[in-house]
Amino acid sequence: MHHASIVTSGITFFLLKMAATLCGKLLHKQGWLPVIQSVRHGSKAVTRHRKPVHILKQKLLAVTQYVPPTQVVPKGAYPSERQEVKEESSFVLLLKRELKKLFQDYKMVAVVQNCNSNAEDMRTLKHRLHRHGITVKFFPNQVMHSFLHDSVYSNMAPLFIGPTVLFVSKEPKAKEMLTSLRSSPQMTLLGACIDDTLLSAQGVVSYSKLPSVNVVQGELVSGLTMMTAHTASMLQRHPAHLSALLQQYVKQQSSEEAPKAEEAT
Amino acid sequence: MFSLMKAAVGGLTGVCRVNGYKQGPLLCHLKVLVAGLQTYEIPPDYSDVVLPAKPKLKFMNKVPNLKRPRREPKKLRDIQGPTKGADSFTTGQYGIVALGGGYLHWGHIEMIRLTINRKMDARTMFAQWCINGPYKPITRKSLGQRMGGGKGAINHYVTPVRYGRLIVEVGGKVELGEVQHILTEVAKKLPFPAQVVSRESLEAMKKKQADMEQNNQNPWTFKQIVRGNMLGVRRVVSPFDVHHSGRFSGKFHFPGRV
Repeated sequence: MHHASIVTSGITFFLLKMAATLCGKLLHKQGWLPVIQSVRHGSKAVTRHRKPVHILKQKLLAVTQYVPPTQVVPKGAYPSERQEVKEESSFVLLLKRELKKLFQDYKMVAVVQNCNSNAEDMRTLKHRLHRHGITVKFFPNQVMHSFLHDSVYSNMAPLFIGPTVLFVSKEPKAKEMLTSLRSSPQMTLLGACIDDTLLSAQGVVSYSKLPSVNVVQGELVSGLTMMTAHTASMLQRHPAHLSALLQQYVKQQSSEEAPKAEEAT
Repeated sequence: MFSLMKAAVGGLTGVCRVNGYKQGPLLCHLKVLVAGLQTYEIPPDYSDVVLPAKPKLKFMNKVPNLKRPRREPKKLRDIQGPTKGADSFTTGQYGIVALGGGYLHWGHIEMIRLTINRKMDARTMFAQWCINGPYKPITRKSLGQRMGGGKGAINHYVTPVRYGRLIVEVGGKVELGEVQHILTEVAKKLPFPAQVVSRESLEAMKKKQADMEQNNQNPWTFKQIVRGNMLGVRRVVSPFDVHHSGRFSGKFHFPGRV
């Protein structure tokens, strides 16, 4: 018992000593201060973690969330009404100028589709065409379409689909072109614009079968002057023959008049 | 008129003369035929860009030179909320914008300076600080000290950064793609969320927020409910939240809030 009391007293003395060292600074000042001091502090507004939010504030934030405007039609479903005007690069403008010059200078512009023709075949074809004065031109379809859209030749636009090549010449030499194209099976004639008239492939074929301008002119002239030439040739014959013919003609006229008079009465 | 025509014709022939050997009836089969038309983007013109004399980032002191440094209270509100200033570009084209609040200490600043100075090309681009050097003293008590005994001694200095502030600006004869990888490297290491922006993208961000506020279909807004103290929410909403419409909480910013 005595032993325990000494121990407890020792412990309390030790605790007092500890308390004295802790509150040493405090007890130096005059007045008595409590050993245990409870400090009230509020929580900080700026914390490293996300602070727990009061349920009412949570509800408020949930109610006042951002609601985006509803889109009846999802974006990209329909094309935009406004046509986006794309500025054409100067290379495209250059090509368009060349095309304009081409349509002005060359009378025949034929559109041909080439499917996998070799460079060698191309070269031989070009050589053959060059002999007849036909040149081969390459233009991108995009540039072609944008040029044709604004020009007079807008109806040619459906021809320029796929790998197309232009055969142009100053003189409309359709026959030579067709003969050279027949030798190369890869090239298919799609259409042509000859003398500002659009022709299909069959149209070009029939155009080629037409006789040349001189021949046609000659035929026309001969047709017009047929009567006068006939009379001229007749007059140049022997006068006796001429007189016999004229008498025959008069008889015929009279014989025709008589039945006509009978019919009239 | 004739000079113009000559120039035009000359220009045309000049263009055609590029592949002169490919012209003519025999050799023009060597032309490469393509389905479409290759259009080339014209590169940007940097003739009006002036590079400063010292293009690299300046060294910033660890400690401001004060005769008597005073210990300051914590004032964590210098991190709270959006920036008051320095939220737009001055001379640069691309930069890093803070998407949250935080303190930048000298270690961060050195990291930014070294990374950018090492990776950038001083001949074509320049970089600029948008923040001051550390000026706010942070005190620390020594290890093992118990509570009490006054405020600790100044340990180091920091720069407070708020949401929306630009940290560093980069400009010069460069495009965003050349600078982005450098700035993203830096932005990942910052103590707050940050993003690489250009002038246009920063404008777009601000415009997006304004558009969201305008075309919000929700008939109930934070401002309206709090101003009328509906359901007594002022009890749980602080004056700071009232001012900033619930878009901020401490140093954090909520991007979806309007």
